[in-house]
Amino acid sequence: MKKLFISALLFVSGYSTHAQSDALQAAVNKLDQAKTVSDYTQLEKTFTGAGGSPAWLSPYYAALCNAKIGFLLQDDGDKIEPYSERGEQQAKQALALLDSTRQRRELAEVYTVLSMIYRTKVFINPMTYGRKYGMLSQQMLDKAMALEPQNPRALYVAAWVKYYTPRMWGGDKEKAKQLAGESLAKLANPGTDVYPHWGKAEDQLLLSKIK
Amino acid sequence: MKTGFTFLLLTAITAGAQNKPDTTIKSKRALSEVVISAGTFEASDKAKGASLTPIDAVTVAGSNADITQALRSLPGAQQIGEQSGLFVRGGTGDETRQFIDGTLLKTPNYPAVPGIPQYARINPFLFKGILFSSGGYSALYGGAMSSALIMESTDLPEKTSASFSVFPANLGAGFQHLAQNNKSSYGANLNYSNQSVYNSIVPQKPDYYAGPAYADGNFNFRIRTGKTGILKLYSNWTYSDVGMRNPDIDSSLLNYTYRVRGWNSYNNISFRSLLAHNWKVESGAAYSSNETNTAGSLTDWKNTPVPGKTGFRQIRSDFAQARIVFSHFFPKGQALRIGGEHFYTHDKGHSNDSALTLTDQLSALFAEGDIYLAPNLAAKAGIRAEYASVLHKAVVAPRLSMAYRLPDGSQFNIAYGVFYQEPLNDWLYLQRNLTFSSATHYVLNYTKKAHNRFFRAEAYYKKYSELVKTTPDVNNNGHGYAQGIEFFWRDKKSIKNLDYWITYTYLDTKRNDLNNPYTLRPAYASSHTTTVAIKKFFQDISTSVNVSWAFAAGRPYYNIKDGSITDQGTTRTYNIANLHVAYLCSFFKHWKWKDFSGFAMGVNNIFGTQQIFGYQYSANGSNKQPVALPATRGYFIGVFMSFGIDRTDDFLNNNL
Repeated sequence: MKKLFISALLFVSGYSTHAQSDALQAAVNKLDQAKTVSDYTQLEKTFTGAGGSPAWLSPYYAALCNAKIGFLLQDDGDKIEPYSERGEQQAKQALALLDSTRQRRELAEVYTVLSMIYRTKVFINPMTYGRKYGMLSQQMLDKAMALEPQNPRALYVAAWVKYYTPRMWGGDKEKAKQLAGESLAKLANPGTDVYPHWGKAEDQLLLSKIK
Repeated sequence: MKTGFTFLLLTAITAGAQNKPDTTIKSKRALSEVVISAGTFEASDKAKGASLTPIDAVTVAGSNADITQALRSLPGAQQIGEQSGLFVRGGTGDETRQFIDGTLLKTPNYPAVPGIPQYARINPFLFKGILFSSGGYSALYGGAMSSALIMESTDLPEKTSASFSVFPANLGAGFQHLAQNNKSSYGANLNYSNQSVYNSIVPQKPDYYAGPAYADGNFNFRIRTGKTGILKLYSNWTYSDVGMRNPDIDSSLLNYTYRVRGWNSYNNISFRSLLAHNWKVESGAAYSSNETNTAGSLTDWKNTPVPGKTGFRQIRSDFAQARIVFSHFFPKGQALRIGGEHFYTHDKGHSNDSALTLTDQLSALFAEGDIYLAPNLAAKAGIRAEYASVLHKAVVAPRLSMAYRLPDGSQFNIAYGVFYQEPLNDWLYLQRNLTFSSATHYVLNYTKKAHNRFFRAEAYYKKYSELVKTTPDVNNNGHGYAQGIEFFWRDKKSIKNLDYWITYTYLDTKRNDLNNPYTLRPAYASSHTTTVAIKKFFQDISTSVNVSWAFAAGRPYYNIKDGSITDQGTTRTYNIANLHVAYLCSFFKHWKWKDFSGFAMGVNNIFGTQQIFGYQYSANGSNKQPVALPATRGYFIGVFMSFGIDRTDDFLNNNL
């Protein structure tokens, strides 16, 4: 009886993991189409409860949604903070679920999103938040690059920073173009599974501005 | 012209925001929180969107590194060009008080010179938070009938650094040292300003025979104690000397010679810390000592003294204050604050042959609660009791403000309060049988912040009672009122890298005080005032341009003689535009001590419009001279540098 119960439990938990992975996959598919603040707000909720495997993905994607919302709201400094705060927590949660010695590629993905989250904190008010979070954002990006130098999403964020930073503080539009191009080249066939594969549309948008 | 070189430095540093560390404690405020804001402009280092930061507030072009001049670009303040101080909503400059970390800054400016505003003694960049209340302020503060300027000094600096500035009339040097463990810091600054060379190039209307010279030295020490405590010490020493000659108003051949010298020391120590069980303590003590010597006499064309109008006055004023406030925090952002403070004032001096002395002990107790009534409704209720020994009187002042948040995020605020102020020492020297003057404020306010834009409208009514009258003798029979409506609009979004704000102030005020024969509109009150502040940073050429413009309808002027008005009128409108340009660069890019440097230039009153603030009359009333700017335009140009050790890694190691 006991054995049966355990196997039933195993079956149920196995089933539910499977269902959660389906839910995660469905949400990721939706994320590939998301465009507006309300799309991302909805998806952030979905990812928060999605669970699935591997475990770091659901907080990772929830954080990514909050980062995206922050970028979309960048001209509305009064609204960004709650998204940034939640995104920071989620990104740190994802980091905690990763093995810091073996999962270098995964860590690079999370640090890239954390870098974006800190960037959204700068948007709250560059004058007051820029000093601290601009630097933190750069540090997180550097970590991502060190873990996986050719990560296309880290390259995209690097391109974004080069494009929007004033020249006297290290901005360089040519360099931005080059980085976005490199990133795009690596995203020719990004795939559609649950592993992070976003970035193509972002690169294309940035490149269209540089021309 | 004295300049705010630090302004430029900060522009440089903030423009380079991306690369610099900060140890600001992060804000935990929820977005939907109701923040009580009637009557106040808060400039905070935690400002979001289009809310003001201290740097926004003090970098308005033409403010000469004086916080009160900078705040004239906000609604509620009058454009007073002939004296120092902040004239708010029908109040005199003396009705605005400045507080640093809770303690009163009694003499914020160098000693007054007739017709010419004097510089501020304290660098406005010392502050990480500036709360400018134009009415209805908290029960934690008192002694100001119109306005409280509540300033919070910075905590530890971000890094060890040194700075220099060279402007022809103004030299400055300073450093800040941050300990390796980021727990303590100390720093010192020296500034010396002598306008005589500048004045030989740009002629001034008064003939300055001494200075104008200003020297200041200041020292600070800050240390973190325990996990949440910080102890701060600030000491500021200043000296000034201004001697000038003007044609005598009563005679065509003589000059009136006037000289004022001042020595001042202001010392402030403050401590704040969280305690167990959701309590917090904030305490402060200040000691200041001020001596002002003024001398006036008539001189002939050879500068030989001539009898008549000779006056001499010397006053030494010692002032001490101690204060403590305990706060207890409750859920939902509610709080209770209780505290007390004591002010000691001792003046001793003489005016010509009469001795002047005054000793006053003023004690105050206060309590204030932040009360949460509903998710979109909050109230702040307070009470303040004061007793002044020189008046032998006690008063109790109630304060109340409420905020109601609308579903779209905008807010309605109301405020009410009674504000007591002792008569100025100048009247207390002559007459002790006086009482507190008072003003009762009623404020209605609406604010909306969204999309990096900020709109604020405020209407108020203010009733003055027991104002000092000087006729027939010094008494408290004066009274008055002020009412008005004010608008503020700031937009950081519409044009990229351009930040501007526009204000409009309508003021209707009359008072029967001092020697007014009847109720009059005061000579410092303009009915309509508009200001514009524009800041743009041109990234590609690393240049920042600040422009400010102020327009004020004419002010009334009167010649009051023997209880009647012999002449009166309205001055021409006030119209002034100021420009500051700074080019930012780095002279030693690859050195360990990478510098933030630049060149700066500025012109005040670019268009050279004639400004008339009022008129001065001869004793017989037949001669009338305008009170105007000492020079049509003011200029400055110079270079500034700041060096800092990059401590990015320390910072990261301690924060992650």
